[in-house]
Amino acid sequence: MREQSPDMATEISGLNKWYGSFHVLKDIDLTVAAGSRIVICGPSGSGKSTLIRCINGLETYQGGSIALGGVKLGDNAKETTLARRDTGMVFQSFNLFPHLTVLSNCTLALRRVLKMSRRQAEDIALHYLEKVRIPEQAKKYPAQLSGGQQQRVAIARALCLSPRLMLFDEPTSALDPEMIKEVLDVMVSLASEGMTMLCVTHEMGFAREVADQVIFMDQGRIVEQARPDIFFGAPSHARAQQFLEKILH
Amino acid sequence: MSIFDIWLGILQGLDVTATVTGYGLLFAVPFALIFGVAQYLAKGAVLFAVTCIIEFWRSSAVIILLFVFYYALPVVGLMLSAVTVSAMVLGLNIGGYASQAVRAGLQSLDRGQKEAGQALGLSRSMILLLIELPQALVAMSPTFVNHFIQLVKATALVSLVTLTDMTFRAKEIAQIEYNPVGIYTSLLLAYFVVCYPIAILGRLLEARISSGRELARGL
Ligand SMILES: Nc1ncnc2c1ncn2[C@@H]1O[C@H](COP(=O)(O)OP(=O)(O)OP(=O)(O)O)[C@@H](O)[C@H]1O
Ligand SMILES: [Mg+2]
Repeated sequence: MREQSPDMATEISGLNKWYGSFHVLKDIDLTVAAGSRIVICGPSGSGKSTLIRCINGLETYQGGSIALGGVKLGDNAKETTLARRDTGMVFQSFNLFPHLTVLSNCTLALRRVLKMSRRQAEDIALHYLEKVRIPEQAKKYPAQLSGGQQQRVAIARALCLSPRLMLFDEPTSALDPEMIKEVLDVMVSLASEGMTMLCVTHEMGFAREVADQVIFMDQGRIVEQARPDIFFGAPSHARAQQFLEKILH
Repeated sequence: MSIFDIWLGILQGLDVTATVTGYGLLFAVPFALIFGVAQYLAKGAVLFAVTCIIEFWRSSAVIILLFVFYYALPVVGLMLSAVTVSAMVLGLNIGGYASQAVRAGLQSLDRGQKEAGQALGLSRSMILLLIELPQALVAMSPTFVNHFIQLVKATALVSLVTLTDMTFRAKEIAQIEYNPVGIYTSLLLAYFVVCYPIAILGRLLEARISSGRELARGL
């Protein structure tokens, strides 16, 4: 709902992270311009989740910097909390709050973080539940919904805070095949409305359709970054070629 | 003395049993919550200190603690009433056990719950109060009912520090009249009559939680 302007870009430069002695992210440089849609793919363990978890402060890092809309994300807890409000995160396993209704899942942060009234928060929540096409499930509990519906609620929950950047970590890989489409459809319509998106996914159809950049990661590095037509047409790195052959059969 | 008189005599101790239980809860519940949460969140030296305190109350023999606090502390000038000592010792002992249920309940939650809260910009304390504790406490509530029953039963020990609870009354009656079978069977039944409804309550609670889960799963 917020205006997108160029200064809201996310800048990652020289990012390095270790888990103990394991070097999980190596010299990552990445700019996510406002309104852009970047798909990250790569083999398991290449550091995709770790990278996007660094962006909203779920993981700390040891080298380099991440700036959201010009604001550097430091070890200052307050800044990190503010940065988190500007990013929405959608997890592979939905992570809805099982003890709260769908509506309360969506209103929780609006009411507790932004201190909105219940009415105001519910209006916003219903707006986004409509957007993900499940307003009629608002009074249900998450476990009463199908996986696809739960993931759409999770998307609505993240959208409620009007994030500048949406992060998706394999949002469809825990879903049965028949539910993948309903979630991807929501993501496609988000993209068409100009939402800035950084999405880890192996849904190559989605990548072709909406991404303006595809990033291929391997062993903690960004090995290749290209427009989807180029990436899918002729990836320049052997590892990316092998990876594509494997997932496209 | 008829069995009826024996019963009436024993029930005269019910108010003390109930008082120690109720007062004991005032120690047990806050202790379990604060120390269970502290053990879940704390690190390093604080965690060590918290664990030591929990283990002290949980692993010491209750009878000895009662004697120490009631008979030994006055020697160093600290006088506490028998009811206070009893409620504190029994309450913190049960609270020590219950704190482990609180901690285990919190630890068994999916890590994604906390992360989802963080991603929404909630503070750590909000995540604890709004997301983690509600889920952990509901999941653990049958365990808490068991601890409550244990507290009621443990109050039988307070007769050792001069309180005239149901057990003390039974011993008094036993001194007047030689009828161990009648008296102690009645005493046993008296505790059963108090505890069984609580156990039923616990079972109802458990059934509700699991049917809630089933309902939530859409069965
Ligand atoms: N908390 C952690 N402690 C230690 N190592 C970790 C931790 N989290 C992840 N790793 C390791 O870091 C590497 C990168 O993990 P990450 O989850 O970012 O990979 P990924 O690219 O998302 O893989 P996948 O496709 O399987 O999700 C893996 O080798 C993983 O084992
Ligand atoms: Mg991953």
